[in-house]
Parts: sequence; structure tokens; C-alpha cells
Amino acid sequence: MQSKLSDIELIEHTLAGDQSAYADLVKRHQRFVFTLAMRFAKTREDAEEIAQDCFIKAYRSLGSFQRNSKFTTWLYSIVYTTAMTFLRKKRVDTDSIDDENTYIQLENQGGYYDANDAETKSRSYYLNQAITQLLPDDATIITLFYKGEQSLEEIGQTMGIDPNTVKVKLFRARQRLKEKLERLLKNEVNELI
Amino acid sequence: MSSMEEKLWDYIDGSCTPEEQQAITLLIEQDELYRRKYEELLQLNAEFSAIELDEPPMAFTYNVMETIRTENAQQPLKAAINKRIIKGIGFFFVFTISAILIFALSNIHWSAGTSDVHIPSSALLQLKGLVSGPAMQVFVFFDVVLALYLFDGYLRRKANNKMLDSVQTSEQTKL
Repeated sequence: MQSKLSDIELIEHTLAGDQSAYADLVKRHQRFVFTLAMRFAKTREDAEEIAQDCFIKAYRSLGSFQRNSKFTTWLYSIVYTTAMTFLRKKRVDTDSIDDENTYIQLENQGGYYDANDAETKSRSYYLNQAITQLLPDDATIITLFYKGEQSLEEIGQTMGIDPNTVKVKLFRARQRLKEKLERLLKNEVNELI
Repeated sequence: MSSMEEKLWDYIDGSCTPEEQQAITLLIEQDELYRRKYEELLQLNAEFSAIELDEPPMAFTYNVMETIRTENAQQPLKAAINKRIIKGIGFFFVFTISAILIFALSNIHWSAGTSDVHIPSSALLQLKGLVSGPAMQVFVFFDVVLALYLFDGYLRRKANNKMLDSVQTSEQTKL
């Protein structure tokens, strides 16, 4: 059962020492934060690590949160910077075996879904597949815009870029996503023939 | 083509001016190509809005709160070290050292004259042996290797960061 209090009210309760209020905040935003982390990480374990790290960082600096913007915008900016740092670190650490890992994962994912009925291979499934093939920045913009209910200005704040740049990036991300989706669907049709 | 798409996306997002909105509405009504593209993008927009969010593990909130609780439990140890106590200890040492110095200075017989300080020559010889001996060479060699190793690590990190930045920008420009 999730709390009916607003984000700001929950923050105030947390700052007053009520930890269960913060647990409610985590419950409320965990799905979106985890999804955002998944746009950067290749595995669920890594995404979990990033998401967990974000909530802990947010808790530590909750006192410095300025109430002039939405809590989600502030939280997503923490997610973005944490994920970028993670990605940078990960690339440096596993530079040569990175591609191999990605290949194994995609192969496993395919195997998992092949076992399912053909019905599960709906258009939304391919859309989710296409998103995983996008660059992290593109996937993040699409997710923030469509699922995070964030305006171009708020996305700009989260990613540290100008709203006009966000607009251009969103347009390109949509185009790329459309192309990837079409390619995936085309391959599927070819396989069926 | 892309400019048409761009205009239509702005129209769908509601981010164009009222005049532009009016003009695009007219184009959609009158131009078959515009109308078809608009319907296609509208469908895509609905699909993008229906993207499913990933579900974190069941124990996610518990894990986060547990980490926070552990951190908080460790904090009182730090907080227990009261600044007043540290200041008190500091003051005690300063006071004691000053008192000893004052006592020592007040007990010196200034009229007793000067006295030469004799350092035993055997101690100096031993020190010389240490500095010029193989122990010193090993020490210097170890320092040089360590410095080179750290410098190499620094250069690698710098090169990796540079490469990552260039790869990211080239990937983005390619796509």
C-alpha cells in the first residue's frame, strides 16, 4: 500500500526522522528509476546497483534538495549522473570483453523469448527490444519524455543540456527508434516467410 | 521529409505556436501525404507512450532501506566523538606542554655559561653507511619503479577517458 502523501510531504517527514516515509518514496519511484538505470546498464544486476546507489545518494543529500523544482527532476538527474559514471567506469574496466558480454546477453534474451508463444512477440515486445538497441542518451530521452512525464525543460535539467537541444535529440531518438523497430519487424517477417 | 516529420512531431507534442498549429491542421486536412504521415506518427506516439517500465527485484526497497539503516547505525560512532571532548584534549595537551616549557625555562641557570654539544661520532658513521649502502640503492630503485607505475596508471586513465569521449561523440555523429 503506497502513501497518499505528496513527494514533498514525504521528504519533510523523512527529514524529520521518519525513515518509513523515505521507504514510501523509494516504492513510488523505484520502477522508473530502475527502468532508467536499465537504459544504461546491460544487466539487471548492474541496473539494480545503479538504482540502489541513486536512492542512497538522494537520501544523503535530501536536505539540499531545493523545492523550486520537482523531486522527480532532481532524482532523475542523480540517476543520470550516477549511470553515466557507472557506464564510464564499466567501459574502462571491461573494454575488450564488453562486446562479447553484450552478445551473450542478446543471445540469451532471444532464447528466452523464443520459448514463449508467438503471441508474446507483439509490437510492444519489439518496441522494447528496439529501445535496448538505442544509445543510452536516446533511450533516456524517450523514457523521460514518455514515461517520466517530464517536459523538455525538465529533461534539459536532468541531463544538463539546453531544452532546444533536448527537442532536437528527442526528434532524432524517435527517428532512430522508429528505424530500429521497422528493422526488427522486417526481420521477423522475413523469418516467418 | 524530415522537416515535415519535425513539424508533425511538434504538432503532436503541442510545442508549436498557435499559427503553426493552425497551418499544420489545414495541411493535415488538405494534403493526403501530411494526413498519412500524421496518422503514422500518431500511432507511433501512442506506442511509445505504452512502453512498459521494468520491474525491480521484490526486495529492492528493503535493500535500499537496509543500506541506509546500516549507514545510520555507523554514524553515531562518528557523532559520539564530541567536538568539545576533542577541544578539551587539545587544550589539555597545549596547557601541559606550555606548563612544562615555562617550568623548564624558569629553572635554567642562564649564568652557567655555554656548553658544547657532542654528538657521538659512531652514530654519524652508521648513518653514512646506511645512506651509501645497498639498502639505500634498493630504496631509491623501489621509489623509481613505484613512481613509473603510478605515472603509467595516470597516463592510461587519461588516454582511456579521451578515447571514451571520442568514441561516444563519433557514435552519436554516425547515428
